[in-house]
This record gives sequence, C-alpha cells and structure tokens, in this order.
Amino acid sequence: MFTFTPQNLQKIEALKSRYPSPNALALPLLWMVQEQEGTISLEAMEAAAPFCDLPPIELYRIATFYTMFKLAPTGRHHIQLCKTLSCALCGKAEILAHLQERLGIGVGEMTPDGRFSLEQVECLGSCGTAPVMQINDVNFENLTPKKIDEILKALS
Amino acid sequence: MIEIFVNDQSLHVNEGVLLIEALIQNRIDIPYFCYHEALGMDGNCRMCMVGIEGQKRPQIACDTIVKAGMRVHTTGERIEDVRRRILELELVNHPVDCPICDQAGECKLQDFYMDYGLYDSAVSKGEKVHGAKHVDLGANVMLDQERCVLCARCTRFTCNITKTHELGIIGRGDHARISTMPGRKLSNPYAMNVVDLCPVGALTSKDFRFAQRVWFLSSTPSVCHSCAKGCNIFIDHNAPKYQKERIYRFRPRRNDAVNGHFICDAGRLSYKSLNDHRLTCNNPDAMDRAKALIQAAHNIALLVDANLYCEQLDALVAFAQRIGAQLYCPNQCYYDEGFGDEWLRRPWRAANLAHINTLGITQSTPSEAHDLIISFNHPDLSSLTCKHKIAFSTHEGVEADVVLALRSWAEEAGTLINITA
Ligand code: SF4
Ligand code: SF4
Ligand code: FES
Ligand code: FES
Repeated sequence: MFTFTPQNLQKIEALKSRYPSPNALALPLLWMVQEQEGTISLEAMEAAAPFCDLPPIELYRIATFYTMFKLAPTGRHHIQLCKTLSCALCGKAEILAHLQERLGIGVGEMTPDGRFSLEQVECLGSCGTAPVMQINDVNFENLTPKKIDEILKALS
Repeated sequence: MIEIFVNDQSLHVNEGVLLIEALIQNRIDIPYFCYHEALGMDGNCRMCMVGIEGQKRPQIACDTIVKAGMRVHTTGERIEDVRRRILELELVNHPVDCPICDQAGECKLQDFYMDYGLYDSAVSKGEKVHGAKHVDLGANVMLDQERCVLCARCTRFTCNITKTHELGIIGRGDHARISTMPGRKLSNPYAMNVVDLCPVGALTSKDFRFAQRVWFLSSTPSVCHSCAKGCNIFIDHNAPKYQKERIYRFRPRRNDAVNGHFICDAGRLSYKSLNDHRLTCNNPDAMDRAKALIQAAHNIALLVDANLYCEQLDALVAFAQRIGAQLYCPNQCYYDEGFGDEWLRRPWRAANLAHINTLGITQSTPSEAHDLIISFNHPDLSSLTCKHKIAFSTHEGVEADVVLALRSWAEEAGTLINITA
C-alpha cells in the first residue's frame, strides 16, 4: 500500500494554496511519488488521485506522457545520455556505443544486478559542454570514452 | 436566426450555434472525427477545416461560432488539399487493414479517404509504428490501437457521460494510444456505446465482430423492449444464404426525447433472445384443441404480456369480453430493482406496462377459481397452476395443454407507451 510520507503530506498542503485548482497538483504529486518510491506504481497513482481531484486514469495519462516519469524500475544509477543536436554532433554515438559495451545493456535496459540503467534523453541544457550525460541528478560533461570509464569506476 | 453563406448559398441558422452544427443540420458535407452531437467539440482531429472569407488560414468548423453574414467555403482546391494532408497524417501509422476490419463499410476514415484522400502514401508499410491489435477492454469491447485516430470520443464518453473514467489516451506522439489503467477493465452498463461512437475500426463489438459485413444488413427502426424506457433502436438483420432471417445487432437510434444517442448494454444484447429457441409452427390440430378447451371452460383467465403492443392489447381486451374471460398481467416478474439507474435503465423490464395501466388490467396473480388460463406470451405462466392452459408463445419450452406460435415484437409493428420519467 502506498502512502505519502508525513513530510510529503505537509508539502502537499503547502502547495495547495499556490494553485487555483487542485488539478494543478498532478505534476508535483507524481514527482513526489517518484522521489519517494523511485517509480510510480498504480497504487501510488490511485492514492495520489484524490489529492488533485482527478480520476486515476488522468494521472496515468500524465505519467505516461512525460518520459521523465518512471513506471518501471530504473537502476540505482540511472544514466541519461543526451541525444540532441549539439551532443550528437560532438560524439554522442561513440559515447553511447562505449556505455553499452561497458554496461552490457542496450538503451532502455537495466543491468541484472540493478545497479545501472541506460536511457537517451533530449537536450540536458548544457550544450556548451557536449556530449553530456546525467546520472541521477548529476551532470557529467565533455564526455570521452576514457572519462566514462573513470566515472563508472568511481560508482562501482 | 441569422444569415450565413456556405458555398455562396444562403442559410438561416440559429444564433450562437457552432458552424459544424449548422453545416450538419443543413446537410452540407463536412468531414469530422472528433466532434459528436452528444459529446460536443474537442477540436483535436482538424478534419472539419473550412475556408472563412476574411480569415487568412482555414479554420475548424467545430470551434467556430456562426456570425451574421459569415461566408464559408467547404469546397475548393485549398480546402481539399488541407483535408488530404490531414488524412495523410491520420493514416501514417494506420495499418490499412480494411479487408479484415469490422468497421469497413461504416468507417469514417474509409469514407473520407474515398471522398478527399486518394493520394499516394509517402510512408511505406514497413516503417509504421505498431500498436496492440487485439486488446480486450472488457464489456464486449475490443480495441485495435493501430486503427485509432485519437479523436477521444471514447474517452470523452467515459469521462463526461458515464463518468466512470476507464479510458484514456496514454503515451505521446506516434505512441499515443487508448488504454485502461493496467489490470483494469472497461466496465459500466453503457460501455458498448463507445463502439458506435468510434468513427473507425479501433473499437469493435466482441459480440458483433466477424458476424456480418455491414452492407449485407438491413436496418429497421424499432424500440427496445428490455425495460420501460423504450429506447429507440435500429434492428440490423439479414437472411444469409440458406439460413433463416437473423438479427445481428441492435444499435441506438437517436431520439432526444427518450434516449438521445445511446442505449444500455443489456438492451443492446437483448436481440439474442429473439433469434434462438423460437416457436415457429403449430401442431395441425392445435387450433381445434384450443377451441374445444375454451368452449368447455367455465371460468377463463386471459394472461397478457406487458410487452405486447397497444393494438394487440386492445384486441385482447375485446377478445376477453367475447369469451367472458378475466384479464390479468401479473407484474412482479417484470420488476428488477437492481436494473434501474439514474440515466436510461428502468427497474420495470417490460415495454408497455403503461398501457396495461391505462387499460386497468389486474396486475396480480389470477385467482385459483379459473379452470383455464390462456396466456399471450406472459413470462410467468409456468409458475401458475390451473386445470388447463393454452399458451400463445414466441418461444419454445412452454408447458401447456395447447401451445400456439406467436410472432415476436420484432416481427410485428405497433405502438408502445414508455415511461420516460
Ligand atoms: S478508439 Fe475510436 S473513439 Fe477512441 S480515440 Fe480512437 S478512434 Fe476515437
Ligand atoms: S435502458 Fe431500457 S429501453 Fe433503453 S436500451 Fe436499456 S433496456 Fe432497452
Ligand atoms: S544537446 Fe546535449 S545538452 Fe543540449
Ligand atoms: S471535428 Fe473539428 S477538429 Fe475534429
């Protein structure tokens, strides 16, 4: 059974006053669920639905629309490699091939031990230091295969 | 009333109506997927583009309110080009499997393609994004995600009309598709209406699919007999080669004073009982035996079904007088409290109880004193005991001294009085 933590419940209360309609809480609620649980389960969507006065199917629609919401588990280190123009021009393909080889997984997959998962994403807003990837909330810039090896090693 | 001009023809339309409504009411051809008279506008399909003088770009007719003096064009090279392009986008990932699609023949996508499409596709079949082809949504509704044009009629029905919220469009872009929550089913007593609402073959009825090509069916306007509401329906029927005439489906027939555009699933599926176990012929001596029983009887009860038409009931009143019988219509067997709801369904599950009331027919069980019961299709005859019984019946399996075949309501024309309140 999913329940929000007391801290999150407090946050929800505080957010309520910010919006004209509780419907607007849908996105913050989904974020909270994801931060709290790692993934967004069906039970969590059902539990969150009354807070934003929406039927659960609407939360499910939102959660499937935005790729940053995870309905399936990701690895402990979730790698998001930028695939947009600047990064693509600056060698993303090579970085991706290297990541896949080192981790032994493809895009959208997770290592069997659950440590790493790999995903390609749109522009991470750091084009000046392309190619870029993000592991959980941290950006890694000016990537080269050598740098990848070091980063992965440090995480081991 | 205000005057507008469509293709240079003057039309007088009500103030404040949507342009698409004005066009539909005046029978001017306008293609559309997402607009629906019962669901309103949504503006998502863009099929309803028209040219409006003074506006630079084509506009959608479903989101335009008519204005006095407005000059609208629904034809012309520019508009047709726009429509062709929109259709081409709709069909980018469409599987074009009309030969195996149940909607073929009553599909808007097919119709519009033949009217406005007819382009050479720029997309090769191999590059299409595929979706799930056989999703059992529940409630007899099958979903083919690839055929969907994302008009959101089905989701607006479950969201705004039944308010049961089972369906939604999930994902985005090429991968957007109709779905329920995982593990959940479409389940409400009106769910099958989404099959009629769906303009394409994305939602089909599990009950009807692959049974008949729609162009072989004849439609007869009628009224549902499954409850006192009297929803207006079409009976779609056909006699396939070497087979007896069969009913293949009921569809709602629009009547804003009764059922609007919709019917309930129980009513929709009630056609089945009209096909099977029918009594169609009499024993050669049945008439003579019935006559003898009537002549010998001293105290006759005439039992009438509350689904008979007014004309039939009126005739039976006269008949009862003639043979000195007492009329009854025991009504408890028609009452099903759980069936009633706030929308269409009524707990009284017979079509003409109102006329039984008007005629003042006794609605309790006949007294034991009768030595003969003549039943006209009353469903509860078997629970009554009597020395002799004559049964006029539409269906087999009735126990009586003499059984005579009766035509079903679908085979007769007549008048019904419904309960709309
Ligand atoms: S399934 Fe049919 S009614 Fe529903 S969105 Fe798709 S095309 Fe429209
Ligand atoms: S509500 Fe009653 S009359 Fe209408 S379709 Fe259902 S059973 Fe038939
Ligand atoms: S394109 Fe990669 S960070 Fe902007
Ligand atoms: S009917 Fe107007 S946009 Fe769909």
